[in-house]
Amino acid sequence: MQWMIIGQMAVSGAAMGFVYALVAYGFQMTYATSKSINFGQGELVMVSAFISLSASDMGLPYGLVVPVGLLSGAALGLFVERVAVRFALAQKGEGWILMTIIVGLFAVSAAENIWGKDERPFPTPISRESLDLGGGISVTPVELSVAFGVVLVMVLVEIFRRRTLLGKAVDAVSADRDAAELMGISATSAIAISYALSGAVAALAGILVAPITSVGPTMAATLILKAFSVAVVAGLQSGSGVAVVGISLGVLESLASFYLGSGWRETPGLVLLILALALRPNGIFGTATIRKV
Amino acid sequence: MNKVTTLLLAGALVGGISFEAQAADTFKLAITGPFSGGSAPMGGSMRDGAKLAVAQINEQGGFEVGGHKMRVDIIERDDEAKNERGALIAQELASLEGLSAVIGSVNTGVVLAGDKFLQEKKVVKIITPAAGSASMTQWVNPPMQDLYMFRFAAADGIQSAMVVEEAGRLKFTKVAVLHDATNYGVSGRDDLTRRIQAGGKITIVATEKFNIGDKDMSAQLLRAKGAGAEAVLIWGIGPELAAVANDMAKIGFKVPLIGGWTLSMSNFIDNAGKNGDGAMMPQTFIEESVTKVSTAFIESYHKAYGVSRIPSPVSAAQGYDAVLLLASAVKQAGSTDPTKIRDALEDLREPVAGVIATWNKPYSKWDVAHPETHEAFRRENVIMGMVSNGHVVFANPDDRAHLAKH
Amino acid sequence: MSKRLVTEAGAFALMAMMPLFFGGNAYGMGLLTLVTIYAIALIGLDVTVGYLGQVNLGQAAFMALGAYAAGLATMSLGWSMAPALLAAVLVGLIAGAFLALPALRLEGPQFALATLSFASLVVILLNELESVTNGAQGLSLVRPLLFGVKLGPTGFYWTCLGLLALLWLGMRNLLSSHWGRSFEALRDSPIATDAVGLSVYGRKVAAFALGSSLGALAGGLYAFDFQYLQPDGFRYDQMVILLLGVVLGGRKSLWGAFLGAGLIVLLPNLLSSRPVFETIAAVGLLVSLVAAWQRRGDPGGLPFQAVAPVVATGLMVLGGFFVQSLEDWRKAVFALILFAVVVGLPEGVMGYVGRTLARLFRVRRQPLPEPADLNDVLPIEADRGAVRLAVRGLSCRFGGLIALAELDLEVQTGEIHGLIGPNGSGKSTAINVISGLYPAAAGVVVLDGKVLPGGSLTRAARAGIARTFQNLQLFLELTALENVMVALRHVYRLPLPLIMAGFGRREEAAARAEALALLTLVGLGGYAGVKAADLPYGTQRFLEIARALACRPRLLILDEPAAGLSSPDIKALVGIMGRIHERRIPVILIEHHMDIVARLCDRVTVLDGGKVIASGTPEEIQNHPEVIRAYLGTIAGDRASAAVTEAQPC
Repeated sequence: MQWMIIGQMAVSGAAMGFVYALVAYGFQMTYATSKSINFGQGELVMVSAFISLSASDMGLPYGLVVPVGLLSGAALGLFVERVAVRFALAQKGEGWILMTIIVGLFAVSAAENIWGKDERPFPTPISRESLDLGGGISVTPVELSVAFGVVLVMVLVEIFRRRTLLGKAVDAVSADRDAAELMGISATSAIAISYALSGAVAALAGILVAPITSVGPTMAATLILKAFSVAVVAGLQSGSGVAVVGISLGVLESLASFYLGSGWRETPGLVLLILALALRPNGIFGTATIRKV
Repeated sequence: MNKVTTLLLAGALVGGISFEAQAADTFKLAITGPFSGGSAPMGGSMRDGAKLAVAQINEQGGFEVGGHKMRVDIIERDDEAKNERGALIAQELASLEGLSAVIGSVNTGVVLAGDKFLQEKKVVKIITPAAGSASMTQWVNPPMQDLYMFRFAAADGIQSAMVVEEAGRLKFTKVAVLHDATNYGVSGRDDLTRRIQAGGKITIVATEKFNIGDKDMSAQLLRAKGAGAEAVLIWGIGPELAAVANDMAKIGFKVPLIGGWTLSMSNFIDNAGKNGDGAMMPQTFIEESVTKVSTAFIESYHKAYGVSRIPSPVSAAQGYDAVLLLASAVKQAGSTDPTKIRDALEDLREPVAGVIATWNKPYSKWDVAHPETHEAFRRENVIMGMVSNGHVVFANPDDRAHLAKH
Repeated sequence: MSKRLVTEAGAFALMAMMPLFFGGNAYGMGLLTLVTIYAIALIGLDVTVGYLGQVNLGQAAFMALGAYAAGLATMSLGWSMAPALLAAVLVGLIAGAFLALPALRLEGPQFALATLSFASLVVILLNELESVTNGAQGLSLVRPLLFGVKLGPTGFYWTCLGLLALLWLGMRNLLSSHWGRSFEALRDSPIATDAVGLSVYGRKVAAFALGSSLGALAGGLYAFDFQYLQPDGFRYDQMVILLLGVVLGGRKSLWGAFLGAGLIVLLPNLLSSRPVFETIAAVGLLVSLVAAWQRRGDPGGLPFQAVAPVVATGLMVLGGFFVQSLEDWRKAVFALILFAVVVGLPEGVMGYVGRTLARLFRVRRQPLPEPADLNDVLPIEADRGAVRLAVRGLSCRFGGLIALAELDLEVQTGEIHGLIGPNGSGKSTAINVISGLYPAAAGVVVLDGKVLPGGSLTRAARAGIARTFQNLQLFLELTALENVMVALRHVYRLPLPLIMAGFGRREEAAARAEALALLTLVGLGGYAGVKAADLPYGTQRFLEIARALACRPRLLILDEPAAGLSSPDIKALVGIMGRIHERRIPVILIEHHMDIVARLCDRVTVLDGGKVIASGTPEEIQNHPEVIRAYLGTIAGDRASAAVTEAQPC
């Protein structure tokens, strides 16, 4: 009984953990090139999910809804970069934090007026019937699709970075912006591309998670804080380290909720998070940099 | 140039504020509630229901006041379900020249933070659909003698009694109580616990909490399941209720879900899908054409707002009826003076045919010892509803027949 | 009375008279009171956001802690207002220090996350500890008496305003003191702050705790204002709105905090009124069009900064025609206004207003004092020829690379000791290890007969080692005078509370006089009021020397002070070195210009490949076969030949 519950909790927690990891992965992409992240990423998840929902309402098949959602996510990412980030980065401050928050505020209000304030279900061809994994532990295909999507995206992005010229250019800017610019790579374009990619990843997170969470203007409000924690604790430049941290956080929350009581669900995660930061400021999977004079 | 624009801005701001306070020969009615954020489906439906009633009344020329008609002017304020904003709105409304009445509020916290300013300035308020017990009991201790606050919603006390009663009727002996971590959920938990302990036949085997925005409820449900609960009694709002229903199906925990009226919210029904079937909740209004009045109301709501279903039928109907009650009170008072309107509400002589019921003396003179004097809903105004195939239907067919007769 | 004080007194008097206009209007009073409360919270938040340059999301949590502390003290313990507020402040101080200890080791996103997590924890605790806080059901409270007086809306407003005025004075004293300066120094160059021996960490913790206690005080007032508390009111939204307030108003400015408070309190509430919205939209569009018009000639087309506010305000005006229910779009309108302001005025409203006012009124600089007597500032060393620094067997390696192998070195008082060698010979590594920047793999550094603890710039600096940097590490946003004042550790002794109470002026005057004496020593007396960033390059190098001297060094390390200098500047440098030599301060000089080395140095040590290959007087070195081989061996680099040719004339 006990093991079955732990197993079930781990499975349920891991499903949410994959989503944290996916959004966190989007944070890393833009941080690598520009040392900035989109604090309105949650709103990006939400708006892309709504656009996909509208596409689906218009009768598009799921096979087309996904690319439409991804494209709109990429376009939104570009929009955020152009409107909120580029100017702030030119000013050499942390202006991007506020600018992206403000764009997010606007997006929530706009979404409430365009799509309504209600949470709505997201149609998906993937079944929600739970499958028995044996030993009384069950999982739904929708949850499995999240895990599958996350892994797929990480592999695809890795291939993009290693195998394509564009990807290498983005990587070069991440490694050393000045040197890359001397080699004739436009850092501005690389940052824009990273925001577009990050937007597409956020959109995918929205599409994958929407069948579980439903689509509403506030659907990603809590998700985004978790994803931010995962990205920073794993290390903002840690690559796939986010998957490990994301899943661990999801499982930890589930177990804490079960053993400590549901009100304390987030507490162990938060305490560990502060400890992890204090002990490894650059993230569990990050590396320290040497001070130069 | 820059100094000039700064001055302009400042002047315009001050001008704008004072401009708002202009008086005209209209009846000023404020509608407040969360029109954005997570509670917006309730706030929005309440507002739209109330505005529908006002539009219909204005078509006839407005409220009847002392023999002539006064157009009703609506002031909308979105409290965002935030206490701070709610308190400031209440202060704003309290200092508005010529405001006679306020309708609204969804969140008990907002009521507790704001209503004291309205009461202080003697502005009549009809609280709907906020159901938390504290909204009215706050005036009992310390006692307020001369109350301007009325409630037009089935108080949690009534609802929890019905939920417990239903659980007893279905012969459950072990139940789990689930609730959200908001004021609404926690006070619902306390009401439920009190009723169950008073009844003595049922034991609570698990009390679990969830946060707004939580999507994974398996931990709470596994604990409830492990404790052998035969039913889940629940107090929360739509999206989280749906998550609970879905996770119950996922972990194969097939027991009835009984809870507050919020189980009728469209965002529960839609997002839970067939997992939500069978959920039962006390209802003041069911979106089903039973009487002529309710049919007309449902049709005109759908038409006015271009929807095929009301997001929160209970809130909409209560908002609508609240305006009708107010209209009747104003007519009887023959004045826009809040004190006279209050006196009229406490002693409504003519029955008001609303969409929920025909209201016959819903309120009486405020008595600190009996806060139900300012509560419109009695046990008999509330029926049990049940989710079936994406709609709320009468859980008990007798109720439908009973209502149709009136 | 200074002009500034008159303005401030006038503004507060005006604020104090507000109830005469709004007295009967609960809404007006409510908004005003809330503005003063938020202003207190924002002044506290500005310490971290403005002065420490970190994104702090924790202030909402301190407000929550303060609010509950004050509320519970009143309701459970029956305390009156003054002790209840004091309790709130104490809770804020303690919790602030508790969070600051781990969090202030972090920066950037990590710091933001640490504060965010703390804030989330606080809300969970308040929610879960139902027996104490009444959890989500909220805590209703009654405003307690203040010294036996029952406060109405006006009285309470005056209380808040009075507290704000007191804190305003205290914070101004603090932030214009050595404390405020050291935070700015830290933001500009953490390495240099360490190198002048400021243990800024302790100060940061103190400052953070102080800022947090202001948040808690604001929270206490907030509790007594609304008289009903719920943990939910202090969630993420509140954290963001506070941060917005500081940045919108303008960082590092008390006025900015005040204006920011006004914006975040008034704007969302007033936007409910259509006339207010319409005037803001119309005037906003007008202003941004004028601003864009003024920049029409900019090369490369109109900049984003000019276009974006026009688009944002234009959207508002356009939307005004189409939107039926303004209340539904209120948050979007709020976002558009914020967007236009943040883009149009990146330094915040106050940053802009401050610049405009400075242009209009030409703020007069504080007159400079008489420089102090140099003999008091930098006494001539008494003992000549004693061994000041002894380095024994010092080694350092990076991975497999041995950068320094068993270095032995002695420096005496009154001596300028040259350290030369080809590029990559280990000179910089040597001084980086001696000054504590890098830890040593083996060996000891002995200063004044005491072994230095390795690996800490600050501790080495405190022991008496002062240094300059090859790549300049100035506090660019501070003036030349302030750059030197930061390093005058020995002058500043007063504790924090006394500084806040305004007793720091004497120390400040003494420091200015000393700093001016040192600036004069390096020939920068005329540049005292110029921002370091605006100084010519050569002068910046001299400023670093003056700053190092301000530490009253037992040993001065100069890392290529002549690098990139023009020949008149080199002459000036030689003069400065001569004056330092007169005061018998022992110096280690790394230099490539052999003529300078030959002219100034008493002894020279030559390094190659991390090892000492020669040491002696400049003459001995110039003819040392190993040295010539070391330099000529790398003849491919023209630097080597240049070094040798340069070495000829002297």
